[in-house]
Amino acid sequence: MNEPDLLAICTRILRDLLMDDRIVLTMNTRRPDVPNWDSFAYINFIVALENELGIKFNVAEVESFETVGDIVTGAMARLR
Amino acid sequence: MLFNSHEFIFAFLPLTLLGFYLLGARSRGLALFWLVAASLFFYGWWRPINVLIIAPSIAVNYILARILRRLAAAGDSRQVAARVVLTIGIVFNVCFLGYFKYVNFLGTIAHDLTGVDFALREVVLPLGISFITFQKIAFLIDVYGRRVQSFTLGNYALFVLFFPQLIAGPIVHYREIMPQFEKASCRFEAESFASGITLFVFGLFKKVVLADGIALYVTPLYDAAAHGSMLSFTGGWIAALGFTLLIYFDFSGYTDMALGLARLVGVRLPPNFDSPLKAASIIDFWLRWHMTLTRFLTAYLYNPLVLWLTRRRVAQRKGVLSGRRTTVGAFLSLLVGPTLLTMFVSGIWHGAGYLFVLWGLLHGVYLSINHAWRIFGSRPADSQTQRAERWFPGFLLTFLSVVVAMVLFRSATPAAAKSILQGMFGLHGIGLPQAFFGPVASLAAHSGGLLHVSDEISASDLVAAAGWIVALLGATLALPNTLQILERYSPALSAPRPVAGIGWLSRALVWTPSLIWVAGLSVLAAIAVFQLGGQSEFLYWQF
Repeated sequence: MNEPDLLAICTRILRDLLMDDRIVLTMNTRRPDVPNWDSFAYINFIVALENELGIKFNVAEVESFETVGDIVTGAMARLR
Repeated sequence: MLFNSHEFIFAFLPLTLLGFYLLGARSRGLALFWLVAASLFFYGWWRPINVLIIAPSIAVNYILARILRRLAAAGDSRQVAARVVLTIGIVFNVCFLGYFKYVNFLGTIAHDLTGVDFALREVVLPLGISFITFQKIAFLIDVYGRRVQSFTLGNYALFVLFFPQLIAGPIVHYREIMPQFEKASCRFEAESFASGITLFVFGLFKKVVLADGIALYVTPLYDAAAHGSMLSFTGGWIAALGFTLLIYFDFSGYTDMALGLARLVGVRLPPNFDSPLKAASIIDFWLRWHMTLTRFLTAYLYNPLVLWLTRRRVAQRKGVLSGRRTTVGAFLSLLVGPTLLTMFVSGIWHGAGYLFVLWGLLHGVYLSINHAWRIFGSRPADSQTQRAERWFPGFLLTFLSVVVAMVLFRSATPAAAKSILQGMFGLHGIGLPQAFFGPVASLAAHSGGLLHVSDEISASDLVAAAGWIVALLGATLALPNTLQILERYSPALSAPRPVAGIGWLSRALVWTPSLIWVAGLSVLAAIAVFQLGGQSEFLYWQF
């Protein structure tokens, strides 16, 4: 799975979660850039992504992700 | 050594800085070594044995961190071993803190439950142990998570012992401090020196003039309550409001001094206060009060717990927090539970006693109600005007909730807290000093004892205390905070929020290296220095 695929999956999951089809994620998107993407929605997003990809991040990673790009890179490292 | 003592201001600080700048001209390594030595001296000043207590714990943490770094670098193959070492490290630190801080409290609980007196030696609390312990735990977790890649014993010792933040924070991360030391010039720099001294003077003034000033009227009320006096509405509210302002000026004053001192050696610490008493919700309050503690507890306790619980609920196909569709079960298990637990830990971290636990849990309840309101109740404010309209009720409710909880934080015994809280809710009537009673005597005759003469506070003290409360609260709400005043020179690691409210005042209060500011700050410093001398500890040094 490559970067655009993962970005598309992230976008779909977040759109479902926040019920907002206008959301467009890029590698540089930060959480405050997306309306209503608060800390709870963030945890839900991470768990949904983990289940979709069959991976598990560790807590320190989840804390350190600052951009969507960090999440995609982190997920790619886990998938390898 | 207190920041607000003659020996610190006129001997320790000048000598430490002189040595640092002189050595810094030769080598950075020497200058940083000097800082570690000075910090140890600072720490050992009262009780040299403190150094002997803290040194082994630094050594153990350092060795564990080295092992952890090697395991973490080896990647997933050594994941289990790394987790075991991390667990050992956390358990070691918690037990270390537990022994010094909680053995006596556990003895008290056992005594209360069984009636048996356990002969325990009084354990003396090493200074700042709660802050130091949290910082060491954060370091181990950061090494485990590969957020810290390389470190030496010298760097680690400097990170733990750096005297500006050693005893009462801010609680810093290795990765935000060490890169600064590695780049620091270790020489005298006019700009950072000037902004550092300015911040130090602001902090000193806040502590020795404002906090210690209002303490004169607040402390006797808590002492009276502890000795069994029933405080009335008057005394209760002065005690509660006064202490809220006292602890804000005390702790934010200490923090200003810490940030200023760090600036003198060219380092920026994270901010700890962001005008918290202006907060319009309790969630907002905790994002603005003792920010580095909130950050620590959120990152290392609350979030991991919520992540773990969310994974479990998703695996069991149960609902998670999802806006208005959130179920009560999800709300209770994913929000109320973790919030109460986190605030319980925050309470007991502050102090080993029933009242601190209650204080923490009460804030946990406040936060849960605030979250429930956000999820199920309120509609988001659409416009600026709507937000402005909502500020005042939100502010008032938040402020009063904080003030009520502060009574639990300050009172010496549960009975004292009960007396003050009952007074605040009017159960002991409204007491007035004899001198003020004349004009209302006829009213009092019809009040059925509600309005009565009381000697809980003298007439002159009542006037003075009310004056202090009005002045300090007014200043807190109307003026920009110290980091906002110094914003152009960014003395902290992150920028303060833009100043809102009274325009001309905040525009006038922008610090520049100018004669008028030098004159003003010199006056503040002179007033503060003349007030020095009494041994007035910072409230947070006991934790």
